[in-house]
Amino acid sequence: MESIVPQLMANSIIAGGIYALVALGFNLIYGATKFFNLTHGVIAAIGGYTVFYITKKNDSLASFFNQSIGGTVFAVLIGVLCAALVGYLLDKFLYKKLRDRKASPMVFLVASLGAFTCLQAFLAILFTSQFQTLGGGAGDIVTYTIFGGIITEVQAIVIVSVVVIMLVLGIFLKKSLFGKSVEAISDDEHVAKIVGIHTEKIISIVFVIGSAIAGLAGILVGYDTGLEPTMGMGLLLKGVIASIIGGIGNVYGGVLGAFLLGFVENFGIWKISGEWKDAIAFGLLIVFLIVRPQGILKR
Amino acid sequence: MHTLQTKHLTKHFDTVKAITDLSISFEPGKITGVIGPNGSGKSTFINTLTGLTPITSGSIGVAEKVELTSIVSNDMPVYGITRTFQEVRLFEQMSVLDNILVVTTCRGWFKSIFEKHSAYHLAIAEKVLKRVGIWQFHNKLAVNLSYGQRKLLEIARVLAMSEIGKAQVIFFDEPYAGLFPEMVKLVSEIMKELRSEGKTVILVEHNMDLIRELSDKVIVLDSGTLLAEGNANHVLSRKDVVEAYLGE
Ligand SMILES: Nc1ncnc2c1ncn2[C@@H]1O[C@H](COP(=O)(O)OP(=O)(O)OP(=O)(O)O)[C@@H](O)[C@H]1O
Ligand SMILES: [Mg+2]
Repeated sequence: MESIVPQLMANSIIAGGIYALVALGFNLIYGATKFFNLTHGVIAAIGGYTVFYITKKNDSLASFFNQSIGGTVFAVLIGVLCAALVGYLLDKFLYKKLRDRKASPMVFLVASLGAFTCLQAFLAILFTSQFQTLGGGAGDIVTYTIFGGIITEVQAIVIVSVVVIMLVLGIFLKKSLFGKSVEAISDDEHVAKIVGIHTEKIISIVFVIGSAIAGLAGILVGYDTGLEPTMGMGLLLKGVIASIIGGIGNVYGGVLGAFLLGFVENFGIWKISGEWKDAIAFGLLIVFLIVRPQGILKR
Repeated sequence: MHTLQTKHLTKHFDTVKAITDLSISFEPGKITGVIGPNGSGKSTFINTLTGLTPITSGSIGVAEKVELTSIVSNDMPVYGITRTFQEVRLFEQMSVLDNILVVTTCRGWFKSIFEKHSAYHLAIAEKVLKRVGIWQFHNKLAVNLSYGQRKLLEIARVLAMSEIGKAQVIFFDEPYAGLFPEMVKLVSEIMKELRSEGKTVILVEHNMDLIRELSDKVIVLDSGTLLAEGNANHVLSRKDVVEAYLGE
């Protein structure tokens, strides 16, 4: 009998890749603003549904974007930009106002829960609650075999994206003055302001970058498995667990945590029902919160 | 000429009357000592003038003409106001050098995406860190500095703000607390230098010898109100001032 291990490995890496993308954006925004941004999940869904709209729902747009591979790439780009725009607007018209009022973390949480619910409802109204896929039929799926495990083209793209984004973001934050400013805001926002750092502009850009990455995550999920208006919360929670166990506020930590989570989840259900996945994920979170609350890599 | 003045400035926290009806002006090229017993509102006074705590009532006059009833932190560098904190506040996870570079280099947010610090900014950072004598630790993380070194780094940050022209009015909230004697001397030299550069220096301090040595004018706060104001020797010999201090 063939071993199941290679396929479990492949599944773990793919799940980890998706969680990592969510964690990358979440961690970046959390680092600068220190609040639990629930809307991050629905922004991923918005990215996915934007691509769904222009490649599937709207026929005239679809005929344009589905002409060639270039069209698909262009559609993905628009999805990412749309997610970034929603992130930007949320910050500008909601979170910035709350920061100006020095609102408590509780207010931030409730406000972002409200925004999350609204946006999710909009998606359900516009696109129904039905499950939708972005990719073509099952017939034309390209697959690769790596060490005996099978992964699809989309899944390969997930993994390449994670590695590239992690490295680019990590180096950018470490080397650029912008990264230093983000770090300063993260350490002490008040002092950052009084020494003349343009904190609001920088936080805006952080929302744009973080939301763009979330949008990409949602799009890739759409191509890999499919879209549902309610997909945001699940994605967000996994991204958050990944961030916490990896080390919140740390770019590499979030990715490390994401892959650890992917592996534990997928190998955890090796001999038992798949229903256990979420219980295992949250169990891992609880273990970390008790044993190593700062995560694997400290900031 | 006044660079900073308050008019009927009041700050109440629920029931605590931290500051009540303070009208005070600060002059350039002078060191104003602010004294008063613990809890008399000295730090709160600074906090209201630097955007950390909102004002209950009254106003703040900056740069001669502008009259503010609220001041937010982002405005401080614009008006050339800067400060140190009684409990030192640094960018803990950044190196000593980066703590200064992030101050000297930050200009446009857009440029910051593409730009690193230039030799010019590095030179300023080196200069101010050498001035306070902690250049040899420039690669250390701020969080790993000793208590005294942390205080000095905060002073270096003020000097960096001054170098890039963003500090006309400088508040020091107990900068000497817990410093060794040789460091005390160094900080006093820096105060005098800033005064001779024409800065408006406001010094909150409990050590009366230092207040006598440095202050051109002294302000005494008691329970958030102005108890006395004037020449150091004169004010410190007043009976009510001595009593306010002893009576704490
Ligand atoms: N955030 C706050 N909330 C409520 N009360 C406060 C707050 N900050 C200060 N106070 C109160 O305001 C009063 C003045 O405090 P403040 O720290 O300004 O005194 P201080 O003169 O700086 O004292 P010290 O010499 O001990 O530093 C105190 O009674 C203090 O308890
Ligand atoms: Mg104080």
